[in-house]
Amino acid sequence: MSGLQRPPPGGGSGRPGGGAQQMKLVLLGDQGVGKSSLALRFVRGDFREDQEATIGAAFLTQTVNVQGKNIKFDIWDTAGQERYHSLAPMYYRGAQAAIVVYDITSTHSFEQAHSWVKELQKETGPDVIIALAGNKVDMAAETRAVMKEEAEKYAMEHGLFHLETSAKTGYNVQNLFQTLAQEIIRNDYVVTQTRHRIVTTADLLGEQSYPRRRTCCS
Amino acid sequence: MATMGDNQLHIGGGSTPNSPTDGPKSPTVLPWDRFSNWLHCACVVTFDLELGQAMEMIYPGHVKLTEKEKMNICYLSFPDSNSGCMGDTQFHFRIRQCPGRKQTSRTHLLYNRECPVALQCDNAHYYGFVYFRQTKDKSLRRGYFQKSVVLISKLPFVALFSELSSIIAPEYFDNGEPSLEAACHDIDQWPAPLPGETLTLPIFGTVLQVRVSSRSDKLLGNTQRSQKTLLPAHSILPALYEVDIFSAFQSILPHIQMLWELVLTSEPLVSMAASPTVTSQTVHALVSLITPLKFCSDYRPYFTIHDSEFKEYTTKTQAPPPVILGVTNPFFAKTLQHWPHIIRIGEMMEVGSPKGFNKLKKASSLKTLDSKPGVYTRYKPFLTKDKMILKRLIKGMQSKRPVEAQNAILRRYFLELTQSFMIPLERYVASLMPLQRNISPHKGPPRLRPFDPDEFLKTVEHSGPQLTSGLKGDWEGLYQRFFRSQNFEGWYHHRQHEVNQKLQILHIEALCEANLMDWISDKEEVEIVDLVLRIREKLNFASNHATICKDNIQKLNGHMDTIIATLPEDLQSVLRS
Repeated sequence: MSGLQRPPPGGGSGRPGGGAQQMKLVLLGDQGVGKSSLALRFVRGDFREDQEATIGAAFLTQTVNVQGKNIKFDIWDTAGQERYHSLAPMYYRGAQAAIVVYDITSTHSFEQAHSWVKELQKETGPDVIIALAGNKVDMAAETRAVMKEEAEKYAMEHGLFHLETSAKTGYNVQNLFQTLAQEIIRNDYVVTQTRHRIVTTADLLGEQSYPRRRTCCS
Repeated sequence: MATMGDNQLHIGGGSTPNSPTDGPKSPTVLPWDRFSNWLHCACVVTFDLELGQAMEMIYPGHVKLTEKEKMNICYLSFPDSNSGCMGDTQFHFRIRQCPGRKQTSRTHLLYNRECPVALQCDNAHYYGFVYFRQTKDKSLRRGYFQKSVVLISKLPFVALFSELSSIIAPEYFDNGEPSLEAACHDIDQWPAPLPGETLTLPIFGTVLQVRVSSRSDKLLGNTQRSQKTLLPAHSILPALYEVDIFSAFQSILPHIQMLWELVLTSEPLVSMAASPTVTSQTVHALVSLITPLKFCSDYRPYFTIHDSEFKEYTTKTQAPPPVILGVTNPFFAKTLQHWPHIIRIGEMMEVGSPKGFNKLKKASSLKTLDSKPGVYTRYKPFLTKDKMILKRLIKGMQSKRPVEAQNAILRRYFLELTQSFMIPLERYVASLMPLQRNISPHKGPPRLRPFDPDEFLKTVEHSGPQLTSGLKGDWEGLYQRFFRSQNFEGWYHHRQHEVNQKLQILHIEALCEANLMDWISDKEEVEIVDLVLRIREKLNFASNHATICKDNIQKLNGHMDTIIATLPEDLQSVLRS
């Protein structure tokens, strides 16, 4: 029922048409998997080989337009070092969406991703939309350590949506954030609609291309 | 349940957010540049069983504090007399900066130019914002955990930095050094504090939204901004510096108008209370009573017997200094017995009852530390007491009017009173301006006529504060006392500076419009060289003042070149070199 108590993200319909809905999004994952690079590719469209390690977290914003709606992402790009792990709850608390990133050439980073997903699902409400991103697909095929099928299976089982990305080439980066924005809008819609008891969540979620997540009403 | 922001503050003002940190660190911005726009450093002060208070950490590590500054910070970061402040305690202090630091940064210069004068960045002092935790801990030798996180800044943003330390410190106590590191890096992404801007300040997964006050803000009128633009994911601070003055004064409400006179005329004033939280809030509330006037004497929201200025401020061989001190140590009751005005405040009442008001007491009757709350003074106010405002506030207390509303009433009342007091002075200073027709391109810029107190006092009779304030009393006497205070001096210097700058600008404009070639046609070489030097001086002035339009600078340069060209060649090369 928690979804019903939550105000719709961005303050709902009271905002003037030009305003964007505010979304808190957090990037989590092992060190060096490319969280900052994904965020920077998305926000600024560029890429640096020598991206320095993040301390604590970096904060960026970017607005996307989905189905005529503006969604403004407040992006918290967290540090991957173990040293900062205990700070993570501050950053994912209150987030509407999370991207858990791993490096497709590192099984360790994939295992770390599992533990992030576990922590997120345990500590946050069921409304948080989680994306699992396998980054660095630009790397040579023989360096791949995590099979796409394996990750997809895991995502399916845990109610996440999965994409393979490359911050370096930009492959699937826009897609990743756009999909999250769409899903947030849909989720928002669900929440709004259930409040008015017009549409059932099942009707709306039936068309999803990825596994059904737990929702506020299921 | 998903919460929207873990730090929802009370919702006050706020407008649309600007784009926050412009993301990329532009190549001209060095690491920590943005951080130092807001804070000097963050410190951790601990209690060492051998040493007493000790500096455990200063972050970022390259920041320098002198030994004296460190010592003052250490002592001021703990409650002075350990009055069993168990749990978490928050307060703030102000210390002198040791001389010899580098000049004010460019951002702070820009800030100071546009911000309300009372909120200017202070290059002679540091403000410290303390979050102190004391808990029982059997694993430690003394059985207690005692530590403080202190944010040090040159900016008087009491509301913002108190809020910030309440976000950062608990995380530090739970997670240690990485959280302080992370906090400082968050702050190092903050946009510069430019007056008039609404800023989004990311910290620890939430975003604080603040508006930086500007000198051009309307002081009166509806300050409640539209709430439509509020963003639920953000915490909004109504102002960077406004604190709850109503609660601070609640127990001494009947004397508050007298306190305004004492602060206005910078009388020595001490506020005694059991906790540094109460003293620091009271002192801050006192200095903000005379907004928009800047309190120009020293003030110490929290002052201890270990302070490096202790001797200077408590000496009995001289008259008490015109400063405001907040103290908690009972020792001060004796040390400052000779002070003319003493405020004694009990613990802040949650729900006030007007019954508890205290009569004025003679300062000499304050002998012991358990003296009753109240104001101890022999001071006779110049103005008669306004009973209406008191009635209104008491009514509010009885009807449980929200503290925010009580604060708004109080703040507005004193703002109007201060403005009623200042408007005649502003009007008089305006009359000291030279006439426009006296500004000649061929003479130096005219200057402001000197301030003549007697001449001013003659104007008070027919166009004094009685025009805007209903208060009766000896306004002239209050002005005379004010003229002897540092607040007058500070205000007058500021006005003088402003007017002279304006005259410079008008003079530059006159010089631009003048037909100088015509003028020099019958002049001696010496006079022409003199003119060239004068134009050069103007150009120098102009290069430091963004308010002078580019066209005029170009014109001046053009004038100078043509004039130089009329001179003999040897002189030309001298002037051009």
